[in-house]
Amino acid sequence: MSVSEIALAEGQSTDGRGGEFRRGLAASTPVLLGIIPYALVLGAQAAQKGLSVAEVPLMTGLNFAGGSEFAAIQLWTSPPHILLIAAITFLVNSRHFLMGAALAPFINHLPKRQVFPALFLMCDESWAVGLADARRRADAGMRPAFSPAFYLGAALPFYLAWVAFTTCGAALGPVLGDVETYGFALAFPAVFLVLLRGMWTGFAAARPWLVSLVVAALTSLVMPGAWYVAAGALSGLVAAWFPAGER
Amino acid sequence: MIDPMTVLAILAMAGVTYLTRIGGYVVLRNRALGPRATAVMEAAPGCVLISVIAPDFVSKNPADLAALVITVIAATRLSMLPTVVIGVASAGVLRWLMGG
Repeated sequence: MSVSEIALAEGQSTDGRGGEFRRGLAASTPVLLGIIPYALVLGAQAAQKGLSVAEVPLMTGLNFAGGSEFAAIQLWTSPPHILLIAAITFLVNSRHFLMGAALAPFINHLPKRQVFPALFLMCDESWAVGLADARRRADAGMRPAFSPAFYLGAALPFYLAWVAFTTCGAALGPVLGDVETYGFALAFPAVFLVLLRGMWTGFAAARPWLVSLVVAALTSLVMPGAWYVAAGALSGLVAAWFPAGER
Repeated sequence: MIDPMTVLAILAMAGVTYLTRIGGYVVLRNRALGPRATAVMEAAPGCVLISVIAPDFVSKNPADLAALVITVIAATRLSMLPTVVIGVASAGVLRWLMGG
């Protein structure tokens, strides 16, 4: 039973917005474990590059996309090369186009004043948790499948934790040392693997995933930076476009 | 405390990132997709997720690779929180045992 199944079972007894918000909180709590060490590391790295304790939350609060922030900090100079940083940010975050497109059928019916703020909070984790929940609810025959209060409950803790713990990282800086050594690196794959299990519909449907995995892994070995996400995702999509065999 | 060039760079990042966030929705909001495009959209979330964690599958740290195998097995049978705890704990213990 995955977290969204549990959350769904709990959600059926609570119809109110407060209940949906708490259901989202519960679904996102385990994933929060995974982002705190990354946030601390990013803050500490940013401080090393000369960003102040005020500038770090400005970046993580307005941009709120960890992968691109790690990449930008690696490239940071004084003064920063703005075009380069914007271009790298775009490349790393181009996966958001796919994520937004996958979410579009579930949020079409919502008013734009809800959709545009909701999309601001869309990160890998909130998107995955929100989409997995919408798909479960759709399969269970619930309409509308997408629950905005659930999504907010899942997304808001990420935002607050990301901004708060990157700021902590910037303030604590070198005192922390290497938080990666404690095994938290496995929290991310653990979360994503459970989410993938929830999306599993059989080996045939998972064929594009295998293509993505192999291409992304190989790309990460031979190319520096975050190109492997784009390379892996795109080759998986090409595999999905071309069916395995004619019946 | 706050440098104007840094603020400009941050604003550029924030603007670009928000465009990527709303782009997929704005473009696909009012379109009906064909069967192939639907297949692509159904595969897309899994493709993105597995691509993000793909480097962990070719990690140069044997302790992390062993922990990943344990985590994959855990993910096929357990819910989110136990899987995360098992993943983090096995990586911590194996790194300590194997000196990774």
